[in-house]
Order: sequence, then structure tokens, then C-alpha cells
Amino acid sequence: MKNIGIVVASALFLAAGSVAAQAPNDAQIAHIVVTANQVDIDAGKLAEKMGSTKAVKDFGKQMVTDHSGVNKQAVALVTKLKVTPEDNPTSQSLKSGGQENVKNLKTLKGKAFDKAYIDHEVAYHQQVLDAVDKTLLPSAKNEELKALITKVRPAFVAHLEHAKMLQSKM
Amino acid sequence: MRTRRYRLALALICAGALLPFAVVFAAGPADAASAAKPATHRVVIDGLKYEPETLTVRRGDTIVWTNKDPFPHTVTAPGKFDSHDIAANGSWKYVARTAGDYAYICTLHPNMKGTLRIE
Repeated sequence: MKNIGIVVASALFLAAGSVAAQAPNDAQIAHIVVTANQVDIDAGKLAEKMGSTKAVKDFGKQMVTDHSGVNKQAVALVTKLKVTPEDNPTSQSLKSGGQENVKNLKTLKGKAFDKAYIDHEVAYHQQVLDAVDKTLLPSAKNEELKALITKVRPAFVAHLEHAKMLQSKM
Repeated sequence: MRTRRYRLALALICAGALLPFAVVFAAGPADAASAAKPATHRVVIDGLKYEPETLTVRRGDTIVWTNKDPFPHTVTAPGKFDSHDIAANGSWKYVARTAGDYAYICTLHPNMKGTLRIE
């Protein structure tokens, strides 16, 4: 479980760290946004099926709905701007971290699954918020891309609070 | 047949008799009519905020919340009113009935808060 937190942290630390070395361009930021959402959609789908309580299943379902909505809008924006999202090391780390999380969650059942999933959601949303504040927003050049990230940021805050609330009851 | 004609004639006479009143009403002062008429207010949900956050209305007014975010929200004052999920780009209508201050939230994102004041 700790490993997963470290993978998430290091993936997004890479995003934060890359500011000093080389700030991501808009095409890379778009790719990071879409990947970050997709990673949480995949975990949410699993929680909808495997969660042992209604609260955990509902949370998973909401993650799928909310992050799919954000991605739909992100894809619409890049299509409008004629930007092709560009793969990059941050996206790759997010993706492999997400795959590792899902792989680990699939080995768990019942309360152990719930705890591992929710712990990861708390860490993940915290790290995504850090990346948004320290890397994605300061680096984004296009105003509409910046506006989209700004607009959906409070959703990540709400998800983090919600996940923490569930965590405190476990 | 005779009865039908009689009725038709009667209807025309009545319509004719009412016509002058209809004209007077149509030409009547617009202000008086709109003051009594319930208003429709709009609240936009955008970027996880209710805009305006506090809205004051009169009893009988209609409030329409429209969700501009790409995912669902709710307008919920526990025990008072509940929109349930309002889809992206969807809206929900509520008619103000009882005076009071109603604090509401989004049950999906409880950090979203609004107030409806019914006078």
C-alpha cells in the first residue's frame, strides 16, 4: 500500500520537479490532465464493483462520472484548439502508477479493498492538487486550458474532502 | 339543428359583449400586471459555485438552477427541497412556497454552499 503512495507521489513530484528543468507545454499539460482523470476513472470502476459498502461504491461511481465529465470537456477543448495531447514522462508515471494501484486492488477484498482504495484516493487527489497548483496552472499558456483547470480544481478539493471523510470512518 | 344555431348565436353575442372588456384589459397598465406576476430567477452552477450564492425571492417565484459544469450537482436543503442529480447542462426548477432562509448544498460536493431566501 505504501508503495502505491510513493509511485503516485513520485509521478507527480516529477511533474512538480520538471518545472525547474523544463515546464510542460500545453500539449503535454492536456495529456497529463486526461491521463490523471483516466487513472482515477479506472480505479473508480473497480471500486463500483468491488467496494464492500454503499459509501465506497457510490464514491467510486462518482469518481467515474466526475472525471469522465472533465475529460469530455478537456477533449472538446483540445479538439477546438487543434492541439494534439503529447505523451510525456509525467503522464507515463501516472499511468504506470495507476496500473499498479489497480493490480494491487484486484488482489484485495472487503474492508481491505475499501481501505486500500480510499487511502489511495486521498493520496492521489492531494498529489493531483499539488501538481495543479505547482506545475499545471503556472505552466499553462493557453487561457482556455488554464480556465478549464481552474474551473475543475474545486472538484478535486471536494473529492479529497469526501475521501478523507470516508477514511476517518474506517 | 335549431338548438345548435341558437347556441352559436348566443356564443357570438357573448363574445361580442366581452370584447370591449378584453381590449381594456389588454391596454391596461403593464406595471400593475407585472407587480402581481411571479418572477423567474436564475442561478448558474459553474466551477462548483452557485451564482448568485444568496438569492432573495418572493413566495410564488420560480427559481431555475442551471448546471454549467461537466458533471452532476444537486441543490439540496435537507428536509426542505432536493433536486437530486442535475446532469451537466441540465437544470432544475423550484417554486418558492414557504418564507424563510434555506441553506442548501450539493450532496456530491458538500463544499458547495448556497442560500435561498424566500420573503
